[in-house]
Amino acid sequence: MNRAVLIGLILIALIVAGLGYYWYSSGKTGPNNATASRKVLVYAYEDSITGIDPSIEFDTGLVVLGLVYEPLIYYNPLQDKFIPALATSWEANENHTVWTFHLRRDAKFHDGTPVTSQAVKFSIMRALEYYEKTGEGPGYIWEDLVRIETPNNYTVRFIMDKPMRVDFLVSASYGSYIYSPRVLEESGVKSPLDEELLKWFNQGHEDGSGPYMIESYNPESMVKLVKFRDWWGWKIYDINKAPDVLIIKIVTDDVSQENGLIAGQIDIATTVPLQDISKLLKKGFSVLNTTTYHNYVLMFNTRRYPTNITEFRLAVAHAIPWDRVYREALLGYGRIDNSLIPYGFPGHLDNYTFTYNLTLAREYLEKAGLLGKDLRVEIMYEGTYSQEALFAQILKGSLAQLGITVELKPASWDQMAETGPTVWDNPDQAPHMIINDWWPTLPSPYDFLYSLLHSDSKEWNWAGYNNTLFNNLIDKAWDLEGSNYEEAMKLYVKAQNIVYEEAPAIGLWDEIKPYVYNPRHVAISGEAFNPLYMYVLFIGHLEVKG
Amino acid sequence: MPVSLNYVVKRTVWALLVIIGVIVFSYIFLYLAPGDPAYIWAGRPRGVNATIAIMNARRELGLDKPLPVQILLFIKNVFTGNMGVSIEYKQPVSVIIWRGLTATLELLIIAYLIGVSLGVLLGIYSALKRNTRLDHGLQVLAITLANAPSFWLAIGLIVALAYLTGFTGYGRVDTRLAIATGFRPITGFYLLDSLIEGNIPVFIDVLLRILPPAIIVATYPLGLGIRMARALIAETLGEEYVKAAIAWGVKRRTVIWRYAFKGTIPSLTQVLGLAFAYSLVDAMIVEIVFGREGLGSLAYHIIGKSDFPLVIGLMITVTAFYIIVNTLADILQAMIDPRVRL
Repeated sequence: MNRAVLIGLILIALIVAGLGYYWYSSGKTGPNNATASRKVLVYAYEDSITGIDPSIEFDTGLVVLGLVYEPLIYYNPLQDKFIPALATSWEANENHTVWTFHLRRDAKFHDGTPVTSQAVKFSIMRALEYYEKTGEGPGYIWEDLVRIETPNNYTVRFIMDKPMRVDFLVSASYGSYIYSPRVLEESGVKSPLDEELLKWFNQGHEDGSGPYMIESYNPESMVKLVKFRDWWGWKIYDINKAPDVLIIKIVTDDVSQENGLIAGQIDIATTVPLQDISKLLKKGFSVLNTTTYHNYVLMFNTRRYPTNITEFRLAVAHAIPWDRVYREALLGYGRIDNSLIPYGFPGHLDNYTFTYNLTLAREYLEKAGLLGKDLRVEIMYEGTYSQEALFAQILKGSLAQLGITVELKPASWDQMAETGPTVWDNPDQAPHMIINDWWPTLPSPYDFLYSLLHSDSKEWNWAGYNNTLFNNLIDKAWDLEGSNYEEAMKLYVKAQNIVYEEAPAIGLWDEIKPYVYNPRHVAISGEAFNPLYMYVLFIGHLEVKG
Repeated sequence: MPVSLNYVVKRTVWALLVIIGVIVFSYIFLYLAPGDPAYIWAGRPRGVNATIAIMNARRELGLDKPLPVQILLFIKNVFTGNMGVSIEYKQPVSVIIWRGLTATLELLIIAYLIGVSLGVLLGIYSALKRNTRLDHGLQVLAITLANAPSFWLAIGLIVALAYLTGFTGYGRVDTRLAIATGFRPITGFYLLDSLIEGNIPVFIDVLLRILPPAIIVATYPLGLGIRMARALIAETLGEEYVKAAIAWGVKRRTVIWRYAFKGTIPSLTQVLGLAFAYSLVDAMIVEIVFGREGLGSLAYHIIGKSDFPLVIGLMITVTAFYIIVNTLADILQAMIDPRVRL
């Protein structure tokens, strides 16, 4: 071996040794000692961010909006408790048509200006007017708003056209976030409805009042948030426990999230393979199982044979082996729930259950004259969701015992969204059964019942269900919520009785979300998540360790 | 000048036609595929105006126009520098693709440098040891490496690394380290950026994380390099001018590098140039397995989401990459080999 080769090999060996020493001395998961100066939390989110306009975004952007913006108040349906945010107190007139909110005086926007009643008016009106102009966004929740008055900088008054629960509206998960009117100046537009303002927000700009500010925004890979030191909430929560930098890392694959946890690159995972959770627990990770208001509903095509026959639908409902669904499809991470409204949500009914009873199912088929007939039905479901796919397979096997052949039709979400509404115009082309999933905007039973089964909800009522009595009951209940909440709830129960008897749709399960986290890096209390604001981290309820 | 104006014009016209063909084909394919992007664009609209929102979304996306008009408008926009806005992310397609492209290119370049340099050296060595056990072993290795599925090798390497060292090479950079040291990407090529900033800890971290996936991506150019270099050198060693050089008593090293190897460079350039283009797909697959950002991760997530501007943008990017690399390989060959005229 000549000298040049020898020197080359020695140099390579030295470089490799140096790199190895560096890595070894830094610890297996990276140089954590370097982070002592700034606390960092990496929160892996399972979907990409579809937008972050606080008045218009109506999908996955909530995970960012909830940290950057604030509503006037939050609502926790599990505890039936309102939590003050930008408003410290509020009251309504006797018939609940005028609601007055008193703003806190120490709240500031990220641009340093105070949060005022004018900002509240600006933000809410933009959501409403954009919806009126385009039909897009969550502004529909404000349809009964007549006007907003601002008697002074810290008092804001909502005038409604009928008695309403405005406390529910201002605490909605979408459409009620407040931001500075200076966004017009900052984005260089004149009208709040200018599309350029929407683009400005979606480029990663913001001017909210929440505990975090956006430093960089790559919706396909990572959102970097930095602590807003002037947040009013730091007077209540310990600023030193909160991360200085919060990374929302987009990792759509559950195995990649698991690898990230193990590699020390992720602190909180929103999705890991469910079957691996016990393995992760053994490795020292912790899990926080949280209730969600994300539920899955089996919708029957009520305009196509044989799912247009009530007895057939009831037979299917009683032919589902719920224990197997819980064990094999959900792996224990879900709550079997036949109510259309999830557990813990206003209007949820505990006693609506369809027991697994094949004898009863046969009786229903016999009653309808369907027993022994060659019945073939299709079920469409989101193919990328393993839980839906496994459920469909279990259903297929079970219905085969009744002589019913099930054709499985996995599809993408937008394919389902396109196919579902065809039940209205072309029912024979729509599948007999389709799995819909829903999560609420408003803490009202109307959110679920209207969207899923009201005949005016042509985009999401994939059952094609049109029952005037049901429609009238929920419409009346919605109108009554503001003036007589108890009576409204009774009407919602009556409406659900109809659904239970006719079974145009049956609740399958409510999702239970296991957040797996690294307890060496972060401590999380149950209040860090509120099911009404899916995936939003309530930062005062977690502690990042140094 | 080995490259004529005629060649440049012809190649450019062909490139444009290919890109137009890719757009037309992709657009029709996506148009026929089930799913309506308007639902995603409108953001799951609810309330009584949901149907209006869907119709508005279709109009905003141009989906209310006849298919040929949609395609022509899309082509016109692309050639005026506007690839549109992503339906899923609501950001310009060009911005999103650039972020992914830098990550993937960085991996590809490192992998290629490893694969080609090592492959050519081993190929030459194999040629010099023709028909020995070592030669046969290297040939088996070359065939295996060039044909083994990269995703499978990647999973195997991750398991092996995790088992032996506990390190998986997950991601592009240690997020905490990047924040602690104030690392701010400038070009999107993290190795380069960290060097520009003089951020050595981040440079080392990025290097350590890029090496495992790069080794996997390098397998194809490595295997191909061994086989090509061996075959070409073996052939050249039999040429009269090489035999003459040996007979004249020219030093062995000079014969190998100055005569034999130099003669193989044009052919190697052509083949390994194509390997560079081909390895792009490998890099896109491997980065998904290693949890790295890039074009592959982007494509993995977006496929099936009806985000047609972004999907077509990705198709155009990959096509343009192939065309550019192929053209550069041709030009490079013409510059090296005086017999080649373009």
